[in-house]
Amino acid sequence: MKRYALVGAGALAGFAGAMMLFPAVYGASDMNTYRRLDVFSDAFELVRANYVRPVEDKELINNAIEGMVSSLDPHSSYMDAKAFADMQIQTKGEFGGLGLEVTMEDGLVKVISPIDDTPAAKAGLKTGDFIAAIDQTPIQGMELDDAIAKMRGPQGSKVSLTILRPGSKKPFDVTLTRAIVHVDSVKYHKEGDVGYVRISAFNERTASGLEKAVKDLRQEIGGNLKGYVIDLRNDPGGLLDQAIAVSGDFLNGGEVVSTRGRHSDDTQRYTAKSGGDITGGKPVIVLINGGTASASEIVAGALQDHNRAKIVGMTSFGKGSVQTIIPLGEGGGALRLTTARYFTPSGHSIQAQGIIPDYAVAQPDDDDSATKLLRESEANLPGHLLGENAKKAKQTIIHAPAGKKYDDFQLAYALDLLHGGKMIASIKSAQAN
Amino acid sequence: MKGLSLALLSAAVAFCGGFALLHLANADSSAELARFGKAYATVRADYVDDPGDQALVEGAISGMLGKLDPHSSYFDPRTFAAMQVKTEGQYGGLGLVISLDDSLIRVVQPIDDTPASRAGIKAGDHILSIDGKQVTGLKLDDVQDKLRGPAGTKVVLSIMREGTKDPFDVTLTRQIIAVEAVTHKREGDVGYIKIPAFNEHTDAGVKSAVEALQKQIGPHLKGYILDLRDDGGGLLDQAIAVSDEFLDGGEIVSVRGRRPSDTQRYDAQAGDIAKGKPIIILVNGGTASASEIVAGALQDHKRARVEGSVTFGKGSVQTVVPLNDGKDGALHMTTARYYTPSGRSIQTTGIIPDVAVADSSTDEAAFESLIGREANLPGHLAAEGPEVKSDVASVIRPDPKKTYDDFQLSYALGLLGSPQAVRVEREPPPDPDRTDNQSN
Repeated sequence: MKRYALVGAGALAGFAGAMMLFPAVYGASDMNTYRRLDVFSDAFELVRANYVRPVEDKELINNAIEGMVSSLDPHSSYMDAKAFADMQIQTKGEFGGLGLEVTMEDGLVKVISPIDDTPAAKAGLKTGDFIAAIDQTPIQGMELDDAIAKMRGPQGSKVSLTILRPGSKKPFDVTLTRAIVHVDSVKYHKEGDVGYVRISAFNERTASGLEKAVKDLRQEIGGNLKGYVIDLRNDPGGLLDQAIAVSGDFLNGGEVVSTRGRHSDDTQRYTAKSGGDITGGKPVIVLINGGTASASEIVAGALQDHNRAKIVGMTSFGKGSVQTIIPLGEGGGALRLTTARYFTPSGHSIQAQGIIPDYAVAQPDDDDSATKLLRESEANLPGHLLGENAKKAKQTIIHAPAGKKYDDFQLAYALDLLHGGKMIASIKSAQAN
Repeated sequence: MKGLSLALLSAAVAFCGGFALLHLANADSSAELARFGKAYATVRADYVDDPGDQALVEGAISGMLGKLDPHSSYFDPRTFAAMQVKTEGQYGGLGLVISLDDSLIRVVQPIDDTPASRAGIKAGDHILSIDGKQVTGLKLDDVQDKLRGPAGTKVVLSIMREGTKDPFDVTLTRQIIAVEAVTHKREGDVGYIKIPAFNEHTDAGVKSAVEALQKQIGPHLKGYILDLRDDGGGLLDQAIAVSDEFLDGGEIVSVRGRRPSDTQRYDAQAGDIAKGKPIIILVNGGTASASEIVAGALQDHKRARVEGSVTFGKGSVQTVVPLNDGKDGALHMTTARYYTPSGRSIQTTGIIPDVAVADSSTDEAAFESLIGREANLPGHLAAEGPEVKSDVASVIRPDPKKTYDDFQLSYALGLLGSPQAVRVEREPPPDPDRTDNQSN
């Protein structure tokens, strides 16, 4: 009898111990998370039991994860197992595209910038255009990746985009022919005694292209060379390492950009190689506008913060975030999650603010929305963060004087700056009156 | 000693057993939930900002519900609190009459004394987005659908107004639009009744309309036209009551949920206030829900002929299921579908007119599913009822060179054998395949 009693007592004690320890082991001590997951699983069970037709658990959870992630920002999304597998085997260069860098805003696809010499640029698409439909299928309800996939297709095939342009009253259709988009990202020529270099994207050959440009221009212009204008307008970005290399070509060491994530030990800093300035210290002006994004903003921000170049034009797009692909285990698909943001050497976030020019200069055809230097989101920043940018934003925007026709006023302004600023002075005095 | 070690051994076994049992119990509530938990934990740990637990779960529930069908959604705690509980489930609107202007949505006019007019929305305004999502390029019926919603819920419209430089946002709270009363008119010896919505007064309104018309027209009354065009629906019990007015018996509609035991059937009682006179029901792409129930019931019983274009196809019931008494919001979920007496799902096919007649503004797509072939139901629904056969041979269209006040109405009058009112420009073409089997 006694033996059985001991066994019984032991068993009871053991079982009770398991009950008590189980929650601790499974982390339910974080009560709020536990409760939140509880709410979710309640909702899940209710749908499973009561929805008008049976739905697979897998489909419900895929949609839940998708909903959770895409509510964070337009570049974060969820790929289910199939989509993830597709992404991994996708071959590059097999498809034709349009040459558009895009993002998602208000449920529609928004154009960041068309790349020079691509079908999109030739069709006259502009920064800020919204795409409302692709081949008459409304974009509403599509994920950004789906929309991009629909815009791609066999080389030579046509696609029709319905465009909403701010300032235009009615939407209009544009038909484009897809092409293999090979971007020759660096073009250059001499503008009198100034070397003009246009960088339209940051691909594998950009830094070497820039180095060749500077070398050739130095040779062509010779001793009188006054400086360089680096045109990053409507450059939607590209490869980070190219942005760092290009920045390094103008700097003698120093930080170019940092990426900062959730925790302070996630920070990564990228520095320019020392002895890197290939221009021999000549003055540099960088041109930017609302279509200048990402890698281009890194370059402009680095050169601005090191006082290596003056920035002329209009505030850039403000796209400076890093997405990381995080697989979720066997058959679980993967998250594409924004995990870090880019910061200029002085510590301001490109995503939030873009790059604000030192000299705010508008093109004659810039519509009113482009003339806002400080974006609305900044108005909500706590006062102490506004600081430098607010001061810059209070500057007046310089417009081309009436009466004289300029092909490219921003470029004219930049060239004038390099020559002592006589035209600028006369404009300023005229505007002051 | 031996006893103690035995006790310890059994304790150890029980401990492991207990642990294993609990582990299994949790694993049972789905590997899928665990997958969600992992995604949730990853976002919390790695997202560039602190996302906030509540926002994450709300986003998840919202995504899960939203992808089920266009009418299922999640009300977060704030929205749920703002909803008027007593109008739960009833559909309200804003009081906006809209039209398509190229691909833009234009306000024809705001109805007096409605949320739209009180918010200062004007005729000629363009609606650019609804709740942050742009609506340009969408079909008009889909936009109407987005404007409507449970009474008490808010909606934000982005308006572009002639003369105002930038678009501006307007927040409105949906309401039952009380202005939508039944109206009637004598068209020669035909009684015309317009039902704009199914609210608490609709059935009474229909009854008094029929009474009034019978008095007005007298024994020469040829028949009735029930106009359900652009009627977005409303209360189920009103739809059943109105159908009942014209039927002498038989099923009106069944509401079927997940389990066969959930099925509810509604039958008509004896009595036909139209006394057997022919009825034509006018429908179009804006005819939805409660209106489709009426059209479907009368069509299946051959009590009326349905004329116009294919209806919206909104025949589902949403139930509001609060989470934690509403503290965690509520699910707004489709739990049942409406089926016509012959067993067709309104949600899937809409109501297909017996006589396809276009308006001058009806586009080709409205008739795509009809011409020359059987309307095909998707495979998995084959078991849901008889195959829908459309014996519509052609679409009757107005002469583009003439102007008509209301071609569909004029055609209906013709079908009832009524001499045309002056405003019709020409006689509608005779329909050689039909005999008017409803005249007495």
